[in-house]
Amino acid sequence: MTATPPPTHRRSDLRRALVLAAPAVLLGLLTLCGPLLAPEAEGTPVTAPYAEPGGGAPLGGDLLGRDVLSRVLHGGGPLIGSALVIALAVTLLATLIGCLAALRPGLGRAIERTTDFAILLPPLLGVMLLALAWPGGGRAAVVAAAVVLGTPYATRIVAGAAAPFATTGFVESAIANGEGILHLAFREILPNLRSTVIALFGLRFVEGVYIASMAGFLQLGPQPPAADWALMVKENAPGILLNPWAVIAPSIAISVLAVSVNLATAALARNRPLSERTVTA
Amino acid sequence: MSETAADTASAPLPSGPRLSTLTRPLRPLALLLRRAAILLLLLVAVFLAVDLLPGDAATATGERGESVEERRRLLGLDQPVWQRLWEWLSGLPHGDLGTSARGEPVTDLLATPFPNTLLLSGLALALTVAVALVLGCRAALRRGGPFDRVVSLTSTMAIALPEFVISVGLLLTLSLWTGWLPATTMTGADGSITSWSMLVMPVLALAIPQIGWNTRIVRAALADQAALPHVAAAHLDGLAPTRVLLRHTLPGALPTIATGLATSTGMLLGGAVVVESLFNYPGVGTVLSGAIANRDTPVIVGAAACTGAAVTLVILLADLTRARAVGGRS
Repeated sequence: MTATPPPTHRRSDLRRALVLAAPAVLLGLLTLCGPLLAPEAEGTPVTAPYAEPGGGAPLGGDLLGRDVLSRVLHGGGPLIGSALVIALAVTLLATLIGCLAALRPGLGRAIERTTDFAILLPPLLGVMLLALAWPGGGRAAVVAAAVVLGTPYATRIVAGAAAPFATTGFVESAIANGEGILHLAFREILPNLRSTVIALFGLRFVEGVYIASMAGFLQLGPQPPAADWALMVKENAPGILLNPWAVIAPSIAISVLAVSVNLATAALARNRPLSERTVTA
Repeated sequence: MSETAADTASAPLPSGPRLSTLTRPLRPLALLLRRAAILLLLLVAVFLAVDLLPGDAATATGERGESVEERRRLLGLDQPVWQRLWEWLSGLPHGDLGTSARGEPVTDLLATPFPNTLLLSGLALALTVAVALVLGCRAALRRGGPFDRVVSLTSTMAIALPEFVISVGLLLTLSLWTGWLPATTMTGADGSITSWSMLVMPVLALAIPQIGWNTRIVRAALADQAALPHVAAAHLDGLAPTRVLLRHTLPGALPTIATGLATSTGMLLGGAVVVESLFNYPGVGTVLSGAIANRDTPVIVGAAACTGAAVTLVILLADLTRARAVGGRS
């Protein structure tokens, strides 16, 4: 861990990140208005099962002959929503605990122990355990599992980034002034971590998309009649020969979302790639 | 996905100072004990977590005409949880993972699928090691060059993709449009895979995101090492860049790289569950999804135990690499 505070990100990096995030933002807006734009209802068959694109269905039909385009337009909102909730909750918790951990070495050690322990349980196995533990929990169970399993790692990143600040002059002087630990953590240290926290949010969003879609694929969250990108891939995979678009369209949507946010995050953290640094630390 | 997972084992062994007072031959043993203790803790936590959750195997697998109470007694679920936990743990040393809710020994249930999953993830891990090292080293030779930029961009993209999305891409390009590879896995009567070509796509689907992640780690670790004085000295001595990279930079970066790979192991075993179901691969994923629907604690915990043990083994290797690299200075 270096003792020098990280450089604040440059304006050009910020612009680059905004350009890279644009596809994901557009996709997000499209899913918000999706249900209004969709030409057909998401649940009613309009064509033959696995019908090829043409006629009333520009992307063809799915396993029950429902319009693929309409289902893609309907199926993004809940997935993006889950990923956003996961990212927000993990970033918030990690920031709060991480700033405190930089000031209290005991808490820092406890976090290291927890991550040591959590690494042995593959995230997906953990989500399976917790999601099925809560019958009928659906998406809420997946989100809860992702938050519980993701927070220790994220906390370590924040604690690592906050550590150099714990020994700086302005924190020492605040300690000498008799400020309490909450003031030190949130008024003195936290404002310096803006770029770390933004990049962390991006990383956690990508992770959220990963977990929510993997869970959707395993039918842990959304259940069949619902339109969901990951579930669509699962449902329509057997008919991939007849109408590949029923699988390709939702796959592309998930890829664009995750890749665009990840590239934007990487651009933002270019001077100080967060994740790799923590491994080296 | 994996970025966060990879931070973990990187913990500069918290017990370092204590370990350094031990004599050298004892250090691997101490590392082994530490990792074994963490694994044991995890198993207890998983067993308790599954147990505390609402619903149990008796309600999920009960047959007609049999009351839930009878079924519960039959399965031994009326015993206190501590007693069941102790019985299960004491069976572990002789390879006894308990009995499933349907009455089959868990060891038998996992005996065929788990080696299949290990084969799949093992091949993916080997591919990850090879490709990530080559790409990372080449990128590090000319930092900021065109090759480096292409590798950085593609690896950042690869990390973000869920395995099933990559599987779909592979299926379309390698199987449906070109007809080069079979789309699903055929198995022989004994549950083994009939042809090697069936492994290609599942292995690639698992390896691609991990290659992206590990390439970035290799590159970052080499960059950190390259800033050290002994590497600068080697350059000033006029040694060839490749020689400096392989003999002076890479050795110091190995602990970090090993740690990244260890954390990838967990991701590979987790991703295998999804990839297996998409390619009909006869692995532990199939057993696991059935067991979760049945709330079959012994099977789930058994699978978690096997997975945890495999990850522990790789993390232990990473620990040993680190201990070796740091030498007596831990």
